Formats: sequence, C-alpha cells, structure tokens
Amino acid sequence: MSLKDILSPLSAWRNITREPVTIKDPLNDRPGAPRYRGFHKNDIEKCIGCGTCETICENEAIDLVEVASINAKNGDSGLRPLVDYGRCCWCALCVDVCTTGSLTMSNEYTWVSNNPEDFRYIPGVDKKSWDDSELGWKKPDYDLIPAGRIDMEELKPADREGTFLEIVRGYSRAQAEKEADRCTECGLCISACPAHMDIPGYIKAVREGNMEEGLRLLYETNPLPEMCGRVCTHKCEEVCAVGHSGDPLAIRWLKRYIADQVPFEEYKRILGIQEIEGNGKKVGIIGAGPSGLSAAYYLRIRGFEVSIYEAKSKGGGMTMYGIPKYRLPINMLDSEIGFLEEIGVKFEYETRVGEDISFDDIYTKHDAVFIGIGFEKPYKINIEGENMPGSLQAISFLDDINKDKTVDVGKTVAVIGGGNVAMDAARVSKRLGAEVIMLYRRRVEDMPADQEEIHGAYEEGVQIYQQTIPVELIPDEKGKVKAIKYLKAEMVADDKGGRPRPVPIEGSETILEIDTLIGAIGQEADYSFLPEKYSDSIQTDRGRMIVNENNQTNLEKVFAGGDAVNRTADAISAIADGHRAANGIEKLLLG
Amino acid sequence: MKDIIENIQTKFSISEVTKQRDNQYFISVEKKDAVQVVTYLKDIEKFSNFILLTAVDWIEKGQFQLTYLLSDPINKLDIGVRTFIERENATMDSAHHLWEHTATFQRELKEMFGIDFPGSPRVDEPFLLEGWDNIPPMRREFDTKKYSEETYFPRPGRTTNDPAEHMKKKLYPNEKK
Repeated sequence: MSLKDILSPLSAWRNITREPVTIKDPLNDRPGAPRYRGFHKNDIEKCIGCGTCETICENEAIDLVEVASINAKNGDSGLRPLVDYGRCCWCALCVDVCTTGSLTMSNEYTWVSNNPEDFRYIPGVDKKSWDDSELGWKKPDYDLIPAGRIDMEELKPADREGTFLEIVRGYSRAQAEKEADRCTECGLCISACPAHMDIPGYIKAVREGNMEEGLRLLYETNPLPEMCGRVCTHKCEEVCAVGHSGDPLAIRWLKRYIADQVPFEEYKRILGIQEIEGNGKKVGIIGAGPSGLSAAYYLRIRGFEVSIYEAKSKGGGMTMYGIPKYRLPINMLDSEIGFLEEIGVKFEYETRVGEDISFDDIYTKHDAVFIGIGFEKPYKINIEGENMPGSLQAISFLDDINKDKTVDVGKTVAVIGGGNVAMDAARVSKRLGAEVIMLYRRRVEDMPADQEEIHGAYEEGVQIYQQTIPVELIPDEKGKVKAIKYLKAEMVADDKGGRPRPVPIEGSETILEIDTLIGAIGQEADYSFLPEKYSDSIQTDRGRMIVNENNQTNLEKVFAGGDAVNRTADAISAIADGHRAANGIEKLLLG
Repeated sequence: MKDIIENIQTKFSISEVTKQRDNQYFISVEKKDAVQVVTYLKDIEKFSNFILLTAVDWIEKGQFQLTYLLSDPINKLDIGVRTFIERENATMDSAHHLWEHTATFQRELKEMFGIDFPGSPRVDEPFLLEGWDNIPPMRREFDTKKYSEETYFPRPGRTTNDPAEHMKKKLYPNEKK
C-alpha cells in the first residue's frame, strides 16, 4: 500500500465546506421548466368538445366523456376530454392540435396518490392544484391544421357591373382536396345544419376523390345540393371547430364541388333509383320551392305518386325567382328539378291553387297534402306615396330580372331593408348600372343579411345609410318617384333586454333624390287559397303554420314546411322540413 | 468552426454540410468513412466528448440514418456526423474503442432497430426490453397499436363518445334519415 492510498481518503475532507450541488427538497424546490409538458389544464368554457385531441392521441389516452354541468348545444358537443395518465406520454400533440386552444399543459410533473384511479381525470372539471399555473406547454405558433382556407376564385368587383355572371368560380380538384384536408371530422357541424347533413362524410369523400359516394351522402338528406352548394346560409361553417383558430372549412364550396363533378345523367345509377315500385299512395304538394321539392324527392323514392302544383312557370320557388343569377345560375336549379321529373315526380306548372284548382280538390284527390307555399306576399313599407310609379317591391323586381325582363331603375336606387333580399335587390340594381343606397333603420351589425352578402354589396360599391327611417316618397310633376324623405335615428337601449331600438331624431329630415325605391322589409304567407273549413282547422301563429315534429298540421293528412312554417326562413331549413314531412307522411300512410 | 469543416473536407469526402448554428454543424459521410471521421474529430480536432449515437428509420429508402453527435467542451463546439446504412441486415462498425460508453448506445440501437455492431461489448444483451419477442420496436413496420391491443388488456368500464352521435342523441333524437 502506497502513501497516496492512505492519504487520499483524507483529502475528501476538503469538500466539507463546499456548497452542495444536490437539492434539499427535490419535490418542492425543483419546478419544471417554463415550457415543461406537465399535467393537462383545460379551459372548459372555451373547449367545445370536438374530440380532435382524442383523435390525434397515439396512445388512446383521451376519452370524451359527458360532464354533468355542460349540456350539448349548437357548436359544443357538451363532452370534455378525460386524460388517462397511465397511457399519456406527454407528447403534447393534443395541445398542439386543439382547435380552440383551450387545452394546455402546466409545468407540474410531480403528483403522488395511492389510488391509481386518480390518474384519470377531466382537466378543468376535476379541480387540481395546477389549474391556475401560468407556466407550462402552450399551443405553439404554428398550426397542425392549416388556418387559412383555400381561396376561392371570384369575379373581381370591378368586372361585375353590367353582368350576371356567377361570381364564385368553384374549386378545382386540387383545391377541393386541399381544403377537405383541413377537416378534423369532429362532426359538430352536423347538428348545426337544419337538415343534419353528413358533412364530415362528404368532405371525406372529396378528400378521397370519391364523388359518387359524396353525391350519395348529399342526397341522403338534401336533394338540392347544386343549389345549396351555392346559396346555403351555411350555419355549419359558423360552428366549425377549425374556425375557432382559423377560417372555418369551406363546407358549402366543397358541397358544390361534389355536385358540380357528377353529371346529372349519372344520378339515377349512383343513387340506386333505376326502378321505383309504386306503393299506391298519392301525395299532392303545393308549391315547388325547396320544401316541396325535398318532400317530393323523399316520397317519390319510397314509391309514392307525387304531384306538385306550382303557380309559376318554373320550379325552385324563392331560390328560382328571388336569388339573382350571379349567385345561382338558373340552369343549375333546372337540372336538379329535371332529375326529379325524371324519377317520376309530376309537375303542374302555372296552376295556382285557389284559382286554377281548388284546395278542396287536391285534398280529396290525394292521401296526403304538403303545403310549401313560402312567403310570397311582401310587407308594405307603410309610407306616404308608396304606390306611385317608381316604387317597387324587391320580390317582383328580382323575379322580373331573372325572367330577363327589362327594368329601368334609373340612375339612383334606394333599397329599404337589411336582409338578404334587400342585398340581392341592391346588388342587382348595381349591375343595372345604378347608384345604390340602402336605407336601414338599425346599424350594419344588426342587419339580418349574411356577412358575405354585406361584404359583397360593399365591394360592389353599394352605400349603406344606417339608422335611417323612411317617411315619405316625393313625386315629380308626372307623379313618379323623385325623392325620398327620411329621418335619422339614434339607437336606444331596450329596457326589457331586447336589441336596441332605433328612435327617430326630431328635425333630422333629409331628402334624397332617387329614381326608384325598392322595398325589401320582409314577406308573409298568403293563405287566401285555403277555404274556410280548412283555414279554421290549420292553426297559425303570427302568419306561420303550426306543425308537430313530423311537420304535420292540425289536419291529420296535411303537412307543411318551408318559410311558411319555420323561423329560419332559409332554403336548407325548408329542405329539412320537406324531408321530415316525407317521413311523417310515410308513417301516416304506411305505418 | 468553418476551418475545422474545411480541414475535414481535405481528408474525407463529405456529401453535405449543414450549418445549424455558428458553433454547430452537421456533416454527411459515407458508411465506410464514418468511424474514421469520428476518430479524426476526436484525436485531431479536439471533439473529446461523445454525446450520443442515434438512428432514424427511412423505410421508404430502405436505409437507416446514423448520427454521431460529438462536442468540444472547451471551445463549446458541436458536430454531428451522419451516415446512411442499408436497412437489410443492418451492420455498422463499432466505435466503442474510442469511448467506452458508445457500446451502450450501440446496444440500444441493436435492440430498438436491429442494427448490429460486431465486436461491441454486450451488444446482444437486452437493454430495456427484457423478454422482447417481436421485431425491434423502433422499426417503422412495427405496428405499435396492434401490438398493444394483442398484448395488453383494455381497461374495464372505459367509454368514449363520438361528438356528432352524442349531439344527435341530445339535440334531435327522433330525427331519422
């Protein structure tokens, strides 16, 4: 043994005064790094239960479970993620993909419990000490789901004057597939759609390039996809999970893409309705609008003999006569209606019920009747001079334009109203070369019109005078419209908690010189075709027929749908009404 | 650091140089040169510290990519040496004679990817996976989900819900197609 071997242990003593490098209380003194991926946190108010976290989890560590305090509602499934820490590998993909950014991770990583069940919990619901921790992993600033929608090619605003060419060009295959690729298939959109279309299903079909499957899925719940793919109010896009952190999926354009790809001649084969075996029952439908056409399709494919009575010379209802061609080319609707004719739906055009045929006649001839008459009669603006020449109603104005009639609106047009019909009237007048001013009594943000319509109107140079109340039309020496007098209004908060009301400001009269006034403040149903013995039995509430969950009225064999029934007053709700009524009629007549 | 790279280039053929930071470079070399380059870096260029050896499975190319990560702790420089080897019967020269602990990394790669390092001490002994009876689990053809479904039991009473189905049940249960 050398001297060194004896002395070296003693040299260790020199370390006795050194600061130790170890930590005294590692559980408390050693916090995770600021971006550490520790236990999950979830802002349950922000979370919408889309389940994208569950889908991405490689370890199947996440289950979506019901939470007592949260109910399913539009845009929120009411479910919340439960994390199993026996499976979680802390990769944080769930946080990175979270569509709302509600799911994050704390930097807490130590937790002791004797009960293994404790390690399965619902972040945000089951309270934990790290719920308020500021530090930890958060969604990084790149997106696993591309935030931007694939741009839709559109006719430039400057090129729109003087033409009714369709504005939206439609997606190419590459564009559609790329857009479809952004869908997480969460399905929150399905319940937001009045017709509950299988949206994730048909988007998947786009992604896989399977147009036939796509068309089948569309027709399961909607026999007018060409039309809806263009003008639907797309409630689905409002709740799209992806829309919480970027643009919502272009669901409507993808639907249009499918419908555009498949030629109408192929429909029968793809939808499997080559031969229809009749069941001997007859159904009469009043009105060839979206609700009537939808009811007709679902009844016809189940073997009913279906006749549609339509006052006008073409089908489509308001979508045919009210929607300008730059949003919906007429041949699209014609082809969809043509397909219904092909499968055996009979159309009696230019047959106004109550004039050309009595309701009684239809009622007795058929085993069931569906009323889809829509809101045809425009409301009057109720101002002095309303009936003078140069004062028009938007509905008939749009109808004339779609029929290619020449309408001279002059140089300046005032449109009264703030709904989609008002927007259509304004944008059509603009195309006729007029200066267009919209008078709306509330603010732009209160307008019931779709955002994109308002945006389109602005783009095309329509001016919107908000908080203006028309009071009088002033005629020229020939008795034709020369000017409109209006009052400015201030918005007054409603004591009862409703939306603010416009109240005219005294002495604010303004005169605006115009050539044409177009009224578009809403429409109502015209029930004059119903003889008393029926109109007494069919209950209505503020102009709308009251129906049960099968869209059945008080009269057992009379069903109804569309604008004259539902409050949403859009095509897709009408289509859903028609479908429900068809199911109801089938149940009534076939059991 | 640039001059070091230039020095290596005069002695070995390097197919790619990637500058990650001023003091961190990656170079790609052929399989036959890889251990020689590492030796050169250790003995001549003062990269005295071996940090790690790791692999990536490029199944589409039929290759594994190996990366030797070395550092020079005095000048605070890092260098990664990358090389591709054939995936089938994957074999690589051992580097355990340079640093003893390299053997541990090589043993791990043998177990996880099936890459052999003949002559490396205890290279055939299990590293983490005692009693493993399947293909090396880091190979991309290994189906983790299938393996776990066959091997482990699902937790009893575990349930999940599809958001769309759940919303139908809650919001419009009577609607049919």
